[in-house]
Amino acid sequence: MMTKKELLENGLLEQYVLGELDAKQNEVIEKLLKSDAELKAKLEDIESSFEELAIENAILPPDSVKSGLLSKIKIADAQISPKDSNNSRTWLGIAASFAAFFLLGSIWLYSELNTVKEDLRIVGDQNEALQKDLDGITKNYDEVSKWYAALSNPDAEQYILKGNALAPEAKIVSFVNHRNKSVIINAQKLPNLDAEHDYQMWADVDGEMINMGVIPKDAKLMAMTYIDDAESLNITIEPLGGNDHPTVERLISNVYLD
Amino acid sequence: MFALDEQAFTFGKFLTQMQDDALLIKQLQAKEERALSLLYDKYSGALYSVIIKMTRDEALSQDLLQETFITIWDKSHQYNPEKGRFYTWAYRIVKNKVLNYLRKNDILIQTDDLSVYENKEEPETINRNFLELNGAITKLDAHHQKAIELVYFKGLTHREAHAQMDVPLGTFKSYIQQALKQLRNTYTKIVVVLLLMIDVM
Repeated sequence: MMTKKELLENGLLEQYVLGELDAKQNEVIEKLLKSDAELKAKLEDIESSFEELAIENAILPPDSVKSGLLSKIKIADAQISPKDSNNSRTWLGIAASFAAFFLLGSIWLYSELNTVKEDLRIVGDQNEALQKDLDGITKNYDEVSKWYAALSNPDAEQYILKGNALAPEAKIVSFVNHRNKSVIINAQKLPNLDAEHDYQMWADVDGEMINMGVIPKDAKLMAMTYIDDAESLNITIEPLGGNDHPTVERLISNVYLD
Repeated sequence: MFALDEQAFTFGKFLTQMQDDALLIKQLQAKEERALSLLYDKYSGALYSVIIKMTRDEALSQDLLQETFITIWDKSHQYNPEKGRFYTWAYRIVKNKVLNYLRKNDILIQTDDLSVYENKEEPETINRNFLELNGAITKLDAHHQKAIELVYFKGLTHREAHAQMDVPLGTFKSYIQQALKQLRNTYTKIVVVLLLMIDVM
């Protein structure tokens, strides 16, 4: 094993710095240097002396050497990087596939969305139509229920007004309810009038004719105004919209109440 | 005084270089081109000088200098700052590269007395100034100067160089050690002067 003294005396440190020694000698010296600060300092002296010597004797090389060096390194890098760029191309490919997938997916979803929107609109329309029907049916039902309730009421008394010579085919069924104070008539069998005239209903109270209302031309069942203490019900033909006083000459039917 | 200023300046520049190296080398090892460029600026002149003195051929020296820095770039991970200075590492690369080249091309002809360049004619293209030595080494005794020149600038081993100088190996080793000691003293004096100058300022 080499000692420190031998090492210094044999000028091995100088030869170490100059790179003259073989690998085995280098290893021994490096091992010694690690554990010996004095030796390390000596080595640093030698190194810096050689370095200063070199810097004092520096010769500036032409610029072409440096530019050549840098471009060669760039070329070398470019030759190493195809793997990288291949790699990045692969990643780019994967990314592009995903992008395409998402794009197609989005288009499909968008068309689906439109279909669903259209379906929803149709359903909405249908719903609206059904609601209208339902409203109509409900209205009809309420109406029918009301008429039915009125007509089936045990307190409703039925009177039939038959047409006289002026209107022999006329027939009006009336339901008078004294408890509810209501009058309902079925005018289904009244002959049609011209556009300038209406049927009007009157109640006779102590010889005076009191207006019960004009009978609408398009309705089958209708409520008329109930008049207290009416002795009879009368129907006349009056100018359109009704009259203040009955035109007795055009009375077509009457019935006495019990 | 002017000469001293110049030396102080050189050494101050040198100290700055040393400080920055640790960072630059880390960047070099991380393959940052900027670091290679800066290290080239700092050391290419010193290394080029060594190559030129070994090969005596400017065009060849330029090629070898470029190859050296390519090796530095490629093998930067092999450099360990704990084992020595960056410049020392780079110098060894240069020396191996040049000697390999010279051997491969039969330019380096080793004779019985181990001298080199014996049969080699000096190319006319070489600038004679490139072969001259400058700085502190010129103040050394002639035989010390020669010893350093042979091992450092011509790349001879101690064994080859002592034969060339025709002195015993032990004597040659002491030449080298004494020469380095004197160089060290000169450079240390520069540091002292530099510090004094800083004090005065």
